[in-house]
Amino acid sequence: MVHALSEIRRVIVPDGILIDLRPILSHWPIEVISARTSHETGHIQDLPLGLADDRAANRSIAQAEQNGWFEREAEEFFSFYYAWDSPSEMEEWIMDEWQDFIELDKESKRATRSAWALGDADSAVRVGVNMLITRWKKK
Amino acid sequence: MTIQKDLERNETKYLHKFIDFAGKRVLEIGCGEGRLTWQYAKETRSTVGVDLDTDALRVASIDRPSDLENKVYFSRAMSERLPFSRETFDIAVLAWSL
Repeated sequence: MVHALSEIRRVIVPDGILIDLRPILSHWPIEVISARTSHETGHIQDLPLGLADDRAANRSIAQAEQNGWFEREAEEFFSFYYAWDSPSEMEEWIMDEWQDFIELDKESKRATRSAWALGDADSAVRVGVNMLITRWKKK
Repeated sequence: MTIQKDLERNETKYLHKFIDFAGKRVLEIGCGEGRLTWQYAKETRSTVGVDLDTDALRVASIDRPSDLENKVYFSRAMSERLPFSRETFDIAVLAWSL
């Protein structure tokens, strides 16, 4: 990853900008939502491989900063929501796409299914992925 | 399966809050199928998206709007070995890829 940052630095102009946009594991909240209401039903469990990936990315960008390649100009967190029509669709997505780095615990699964079943007719399920966006200037 | 991503458009809002793409030459690393690319490419002078996933790049090329054909390009490349000369771009975007 540090090598990739060195390559990016090479191909951008002096004072050029690097935008680093990525999800950060942090027990993402699960909600049952409808037009009328929203209700938090649990949290995603972070797995060691996902946490290790985040640490590796953080180390790389810190190394690039330490090397004097980039200067941090701004940084914020925001939520990026994935939404499904039902809990079973969410569970299938997590198994197919995210199983290496997160998992759904039994209690969150049960609470989400229950809230959705008892919810409004237009109820859906969503996970709020914690996103980090950082603006770096080439030094 | 029906999945909807970022209906609130928070990603686009924050991206534009952090950078003005107008007239800039942009490199997007990890562009995939171009989901993020289409949120800003129209404003740029030119955009190049790179990824290692050939199938995703094919989808991105197929989805490219006709008015962006001369402005947005996709290429298979590793971020550790970018096939571009020094100082080619004004902005680089690491899209979910660090």
